[in-house]
Amino acid sequence: MSVAQVAELPADTVSTIEERTPFQIVMMRFRRHRLAMVSLILMTAIFIITIFAPVIAPFEVQELSVNKYFVPWGTVDEATGRVHYLGTDHIGRDYFSRLIYAGRISLTVALLSIFIAEVVGIVVGSISGFFGGWLDAVLMRFVEFMLTIPTLPLLLILSSMLLRNEELIPIPDVVLKFLGNIMLLSPRDARNAVMIVLILAGLGWLQSAQLMRGMVLSLREQTFVEASRSLGASNFRIITRDMIPNAMAPIIVDASLGLAGFIVLEAALAFLGFGIQDPIPTWGNMLAATQAHMLSRPWLPLVPGLPIFICSLAFNYIGDGLRDALDPRLKL
Amino acid sequence: MTAYLIRRVFQMIIVVLVSAVATYGLLNLAPGGPLAGLRQIQQSSRFQITEEDIARIRAYFELDLYLPYRFSRWLIGEPRGPVVIGGREFLSDMVVGCRKPVETEVLNNRGVYEFKVTGCNEYVYLKDLVGRRTSRGILFGDFGLSWRLLRDRPVSELLLSRLPKTVQLIGLSTLFSILIGIPLGVYSAVKQYTRFDYFFTSLAFMGSAMPTFFFGILMILAFSLIPKNAGLPYVPAGLSESVRDYAIPLIGDVAAGSLKDRVLHLVLPVSVLTLVNISFWTRFIRSSMLEVLRQDYVRTARAKGLGERIVIMKHALRNALIPFVTIVVFTLPGLFSGAIITESIFAWPGMGRLYLLALGDYDYPVAMSIFFIIAILTVIATLLRDILYTIVDPRIRLS
Repeated sequence: MSVAQVAELPADTVSTIEERTPFQIVMMRFRRHRLAMVSLILMTAIFIITIFAPVIAPFEVQELSVNKYFVPWGTVDEATGRVHYLGTDHIGRDYFSRLIYAGRISLTVALLSIFIAEVVGIVVGSISGFFGGWLDAVLMRFVEFMLTIPTLPLLLILSSMLLRNEELIPIPDVVLKFLGNIMLLSPRDARNAVMIVLILAGLGWLQSAQLMRGMVLSLREQTFVEASRSLGASNFRIITRDMIPNAMAPIIVDASLGLAGFIVLEAALAFLGFGIQDPIPTWGNMLAATQAHMLSRPWLPLVPGLPIFICSLAFNYIGDGLRDALDPRLKL
Repeated sequence: MTAYLIRRVFQMIIVVLVSAVATYGLLNLAPGGPLAGLRQIQQSSRFQITEEDIARIRAYFELDLYLPYRFSRWLIGEPRGPVVIGGREFLSDMVVGCRKPVETEVLNNRGVYEFKVTGCNEYVYLKDLVGRRTSRGILFGDFGLSWRLLRDRPVSELLLSRLPKTVQLIGLSTLFSILIGIPLGVYSAVKQYTRFDYFFTSLAFMGSAMPTFFFGILMILAFSLIPKNAGLPYVPAGLSESVRDYAIPLIGDVAAGSLKDRVLHLVLPVSVLTLVNISFWTRFIRSSMLEVLRQDYVRTARAKGLGERIVIMKHALRNALIPFVTIVVFTLPGLFSGAIITESIFAWPGMGRLYLLALGDYDYPVAMSIFFIIAILTVIATLLRDILYTIVDPRIRLS
């Protein structure tokens, strides 16, 4: 198509790169990553299922079917006509319903933890990077050291201490009630989940703080920050208006990869018995419970195990896709 | 260099001390411990436990001392009694603890009655500490006595009995991961964007997203349970050696505790750890190799007419492995933290499982010792990494 031909076309059919908004460009690049798209669709589906858990699940979370332990999948409950899609567990609770409710709890815990971790990380990282000095030195030494300690032993020691001493960190009842409503738990059970959130977030912010600090250090030298300052902008304004929006790309990538990590860590804690405890369903403790019955029912671990794997994989792919889309230079 | 080392060692000491305080504080905040059961026994009328009994048991676990004194006795084994200067005793009447605290039931802000210490009937003075059993302090390698798991035996005994098993597991899997992971990563990088590369990078990607505990269970199912039920050759899963003799199709009879038995038990946990490691390490090596292959000196080497093999092995790989030092060095604390998840799935009697048991069983001295050792080893590993970097990469100078 020659220049003359293009000029003859009606104006609205000609679209050049410059006319796309940054968001459109990112979406376009993201769509190119096929596995990330598949993962995104899959996760959306899982989210919708868990949001409508009370509607979809045929049974209550704690509802026991007496004398129906380990019924095979597809068994119909004669009294009410409801179907045990995936059978029942060792004390007669419906597997499918528990799986959905567990997903709701596991995903909420992971999302909340990553949110808190990123917010704290952004705040600490930008303060540390922006102001520098001894505060920066002390903070970053601490972060570095904490990051080198093996994660799991640290998480275990924290959770074993906090779970036995839940009153140690006071959490307002309003928060518990609110989060309990999201996770469909009583405020008392919600405390257990919130503890795990705090523990995960308590270690999760380290990495994002380091990331944010690095970003701030490089942004500090940019001309637009200088321009802001010469216009008389306050430090607070520079940090919130210039630094944080420009550092968002790597933070978002970090968050989506961190989400995968948190889902696995939460499940690992529950699996080892130091996470969310049994009557509250999570994929991790459901998996741990299947271990005792593996001899006679070898397929059983797949039921809670696969969702953990799928979510972890999906968030990894989404993170990978986002990294490609947001910042092609970051690609490994 | 010397000045740097001295400064680093000084920093290390501070870090170790701070982490010691943190760990000790954490675990002492937690309730439970040896006294948790006692209070229940006391409430049931069958056993008459007097106040004196409780005081004795509290003294036995040093719970009658105030936290700072208890901590300093745990850390450095002091104070053991009055300060003696020139044959004269000082401070012998200093209060260091409370033998019989007054506990009253108070209503807390949640509307639940709970016991709170409100006073003290009988104090412990510094002079009372003379002749009390004490450890020489964790800083000097005395970890004290276990409370629960191996009651009244030294923690070090417990640790030493578990250490070889974990060293076996971590050592073998690290070795295999290096032997398999490095060639895979290098080959992937050299053959970037070929079918082989795509296959292994996506496999590694999935592997690193796979939770270890689920993977371990899948491995047990695939190589132990299902073949066993089907009468096929299988590998035993669980524990590090069998309790009684058994027979496996094709492999034959295996005597309990024999070398064959122990090797068979190693197969599954080592493969799980190795595969998990490989999936992380190949990705690491591949990206670091790709980075190096773009460098000018690699182009120079090729332009000189060197064979591709020499270029990759001598020029590229050596430099690509520099960041890998970090990973290898940090297997050192791994020896003590063990592979907690893998060990717990396979009931492997190593450090990781001991740590879990200690935490679950309120055996604080054991849990604290392990965590403390992990912290120290981490600090040492960091220093080791920095020193090794200067050796493998002369461009880096420490100052």
